[in-house]
This record gives sequence, structure tokens and C-alpha cells, in this order.
Amino acid sequence: MSKPPSPGFSPEIVVLYCRQTLDAEAKPPEGTRQGDGFSARLVLLPCSSKIEAYQMLAILDKGADGVQLVACPEKACRFLVGNNRAERRVAHARGLLSQAGMAEARLELNRAAELTPEDLMNLAGRHAGRIKDLGPNPMKGGTN
Amino acid sequence: MSSRVQTNLQKVLAAGHFAVTAEVGPPQGPNPEPVRAKAAILKGLADAYNVTDNQTAVVRMSSIAAAKILLDEGLEPVMQMTCRDRNRIAMQSDLLGASALGLKNVLALSGDHQKASGAGKLNGHPGAKNVYDVDSIQLLGIIKGLRDEARQQGGDAITEPAPFFIGAAWTPLGPPVEFRVPRLAKKIAAGADFVQTQAVFDLKAFAAQVKKAHEAGLTEKVAILAGIIVPRSAGMLTYMNKNVPGIEVPEALIARMKGAKDAKAEGMKVTVELIQAVRELPGVKGVHLQAIEAEELLAEVIPAAGLTPRPLV
Amino acid sequence: MIVAEWKPLPELLAGLKGYKNLLLVGCATCVAECAAGGEREVNTLAPTLHMALKNQGQDINIITRTLERACEPEFVEELAEIAPQVDAIMSLSCGIGMQLIAERFLDKPLLPGVNTTSLAIREAPGLWTARCRACGDCVLGETFGLCPVARCAKSLMNGPCGGTRKNGRCEVDENTDCIWYLIVERAKARGELESLNQVRQPKTWSNSAHGGPKRIVREDLRS
Repeated sequence: MSKPPSPGFSPEIVVLYCRQTLDAEAKPPEGTRQGDGFSARLVLLPCSSKIEAYQMLAILDKGADGVQLVACPEKACRFLVGNNRAERRVAHARGLLSQAGMAEARLELNRAAELTPEDLMNLAGRHAGRIKDLGPNPMKGGTN
Repeated sequence: MSSRVQTNLQKVLAAGHFAVTAEVGPPQGPNPEPVRAKAAILKGLADAYNVTDNQTAVVRMSSIAAAKILLDEGLEPVMQMTCRDRNRIAMQSDLLGASALGLKNVLALSGDHQKASGAGKLNGHPGAKNVYDVDSIQLLGIIKGLRDEARQQGGDAITEPAPFFIGAAWTPLGPPVEFRVPRLAKKIAAGADFVQTQAVFDLKAFAAQVKKAHEAGLTEKVAILAGIIVPRSAGMLTYMNKNVPGIEVPEALIARMKGAKDAKAEGMKVTVELIQAVRELPGVKGVHLQAIEAEELLAEVIPAAGLTPRPLV
Repeated sequence: MIVAEWKPLPELLAGLKGYKNLLLVGCATCVAECAAGGEREVNTLAPTLHMALKNQGQDINIITRTLERACEPEFVEELAEIAPQVDAIMSLSCGIGMQLIAERFLDKPLLPGVNTTSLAIREAPGLWTARCRACGDCVLGETFGLCPVARCAKSLMNGPCGGTRKNGRCEVDENTDCIWYLIVERAKARGELESLNQVRQPKTWSNSAHGGPKRIVREDLRS
């Protein structure tokens, strides 16, 4: 799975972000945006705990190069424990990824607050940078 | 207790002597020589010798076979039997076989759980299926049935009574402490003639439990042999205090061992003091000595405690 | 509930060698409650197996279904339409459901996706602990509602062995209560400690697994 950087590889990152991580002024961005050498599909969640391990795994199984879950900082969850739940689910899913022979680094959790849409793209860009070293998701172009 | 056949241990106790038992762990192999070597070290030091039954759930020579080897060497064995590995059919069959071989002291135990067998340096068999068809108290009742009624647990008769002197273990300081004396009473009611206790270090706490048993009239019905483990270092005491359930070691004793110039000599001194102290307790009829994997220490400490020569009865 | 746990992934993958179309079946009853074989777990295992096999060079198509109750023939029947399309069925139901599925689809290999391990309760989120062993000779009335068969490592019937830790836990597992410690506590609270003094005789195990495969007949209910 770890290959030399593929020429022309533009990682596709799915950014799942909690509504509460956004700056209050910002309009929640959604849909696919092009970054510098990567693309990001931005998905708005009411809380980072609204995503299940199986959904994150399914996104990777379907060929996304990376999944970035953006949760609120420690103790700042509007639903008190949502972000901690998200953290445990990501850990669980990463364990399964590893057992399935997939790089755990394709799935990341980041804690942040007062983000602008540009900040979200920057998070995706940094994740994409790490994923470039891993190469494209080996699931790309398969069945299911 | 049975009047038909008297074991040496039984006779020593009946004559009012302060009894001494020691422990012999069978080897992890088929060679009888290690058993004979231990017998040579221990002969004449005790009235009877416990032979453990796959202790810590690690496979060793069977307690029946090792007990028979001791018997042939002129030592009287106490064959231990746990409830972990046999159902009531195998237990009774082995008991009849043991009796046929001349093994008359038997000690019933729950047994260490098989999960413990992989805890140390050995693999053990933590994946084994345990049996626990009956528990140690029920096993006492089964042995008593074979002896007193010549009857199997299922009700069928056996050809003649199987004469056993029946032993049990007692952990007087194990939680819940308030149930330990009643549990001793249950063991007596089920059939125990003698009990050997978990190792005593906390004399005050032990004395309090023995006093309760004494006041309840239990010490007239059962011979209590206080368990004594020869301490070899402060580290060993700290380890046992922390990790061995039912063993309470006072801090002062650990400090004393820590401060000793010669830990081995101090351990012997402590052992002698413990023996003398438990001997003073009404209802304590003897000691059960262990020097885990260092039987040669017993050859020093038993005479040092003034317990040799052993009475001939 | 009946509690099951996923088999280790390498074991599952080894069993799937050579198959191209798999039906992965869950059950929405006990195994869903214990987070081993409900819809969520089916949906978690499917992509995990798919990715793992693809990384090993095996392309497999996984169809997922979750039955309401895998231990009732009526619900298992729901698989009849999809079963002909697959070459094996992996079930995350308990061993009971698995056997019903295997019996209904005799021409399909049935692969167990879980090990059925216990009859347990969810003691806290993410924690299940055994409560019953279906021993066939219930003693709860004499043990203050705490089962020594299922909850004592040695199934002792007459009180605690010498292995109770200072904190009242079992010597076999420091996170497990010594059930006899708790039985004594409850007996004390009820002022009935002496009730435990009676020697309990050997149990009859033959009304359960030890009497041969269990068969219960109720003439009044027979058709």
C-alpha cells in the first residue's frame, strides 16, 4: 500500500466537519472544492459524533484517499461528549483499517474551533500532503 | 474420624503432639528421582508430606504417583486433589486407586484456575476446559461418603469403606473475612478432619480468626495446622502481600526483613518465631511448612524450631 | 442476551478465500444489543472485509442483510431471494441463528463471523458481563440473586475459594468481582448470613448441556 509518490496524484479528501467548529460568521461550505494538488469534499455534520465508524470505513472502501473528521476541542462539545465519542470511533475504525491492510493515516481526527472555510481546506490540504506519500487508495476502481 | 485405619498424621494428632507437615511439589517430568531427592532431604522432618495436584494449573507428575513414590521412600504423603481437572467419576475412581496404593491422607482443594497457568514464565494451559463438577466442600463430602458409608456420591455401594484421613485448606484472612469461619464450619460438616491454613504472617489477625473458630467449638472437631512459608527476602514478602490472595504480611515484618544483614538467616528466625507463636494459640494443633522450591531450608528450620525428632506413634 | 464477539479478522479472511459473492447476515436481536452482529456491525465488517481482501488481491462482492431475528425460520426466509446470488453466507448472528441459516440454505457454505461466548448483560456502555450459564439447576434463590455458576471462575457452590483479593475481586481477573464476596455482602445486608452456612450438595448438571443435547417437549403446545 505504501508506494513512491505517484506523479499527478491529486488526493481526494472527504472532510466531515462539525457545525460547531466553524466560525459563527462563516457560511457552512459544502460540496467538492479544488485545492492546490488535491480536492476536498466538505460534508457538514451537526456534531462529530453523528458519523459512525462504518460510514468512515465505507468512504475509504469506495475509494476516497483520505477522511478528515473535524471535531470541537476537548471539553468544548455542545453535546458534552460527542467529540470524545468521535475520537473513540476514529480509533476503532483506524484499528480495523490497519487490520485490513490499509494505512491508518488515511483517517484522521482533528480538533479545531472558529474555522473559516479556508481553514477547512487547509486542514484537508495538510492531510492530502501526508497522503501523497502513501499513494492513491488501493480501493480505487474496484467493485462495491 | 475413621477408626479403621490410622495414618501417622492422624495418630500424631490423636496423641496430642504438635504436628508438622511439609509440602512436596512433583516434578514437571516423568522421572521419579526428583521426588526421591526431595524425600531424602525431608525424611524425618515432618509427620506427613503434602503432594500437590498440578499446582498453579501447570502439568506435573500426578499427585497420586508422586505420593506413592514418597510412600515407597518411607514418607507418609497427603495426596492433594483439586476440583479443577476431574469430575466426580474420575475423583472417586482416583480416590479408590489411591487407597489401594496405600495413600490414606487426602486433602481436597478447589485448585488454581487454569488461567493462572500462563501467568508466569510457563505457557501452561490457559485454554483448557476446567471441570468443577463439584467444589472442594462437596469433594470432602464425597470422600467422607466413601469412608463412612462405603457409598459413592451417586448412591451406589463400594465393596468396602475407603479409609481416609480427610484434609482441607482454610484461608482465614481471605475476604470476606466474616465468612471464613463459617466456611471452615462447612468444611468440617462436609467431612474435614484436619485443615491446613494459608500462610500466616499477620499473627494478630490469624489469632483472632482462630479464636472465633475455637469459640465456635470448631477446633475440637478439626485439627488446624497453621501454614507457614519460610520468608527468604523482603521482596518475596512484598510480592506475596500484594499478589497472593489471603496472605497478609505486616509492614513491620517486611521492614525487618529489609533491614536484615543476612536475609536468609533472618527468614529462618522469623519462621521459628511464627511457629512458636502459632503453637501458643488454643486450637492450633500443628504447622504446615512450605519453603517454595527450597526444601533444604526446611531441613534447617524444623530442627531450629525444636520440632525434631518427630514423634514415633 | 446472547453475547457474541467478532472472530479475529485473519480467521474470517482465511475462510473467505476463493469466494466471489458473499452474503453477510446480521441479526437485529441479541447480537445487535451486544454490538457484534447488528446492522451497524454488518455495515462495519463489510467494508473492512472488502478492503482487506482487495489488499490481498481478492475481489469480492459483499451483499449485506440484517434479519429481525435469525433464530426464527420466518425471518430467515427473507434471505431466500438473495441466497442464490452468492456462493457463501457469513453470519454474525449467534450460533443458534447460524444453524437455522445453514439448515435453510443447505447448498451454501455457512461461515461463522462471530464466536458466541456468553449469556450476559450490558453492565455499562461498552461493557458486557456474564450473568447466566444455562446450567439447568437454578440456585439464585439461595444465593441472593447472584449466580455462582456463571460468575465464579470455578462455579463454586459453597462460598469463596482462597482466591478473593483484598478488594473483593477474583484472583483470575482483577476487574471481575468475586461473586461470593458479593453474595456474602447481600446476605449480610439482608441479615441472613447464616443461610449460607448450609452445605450445598453436588449439583445436577444433567438438565443442561451435560445431559446430552437439550430437548424440551411441551405436549400442550405440540401440533
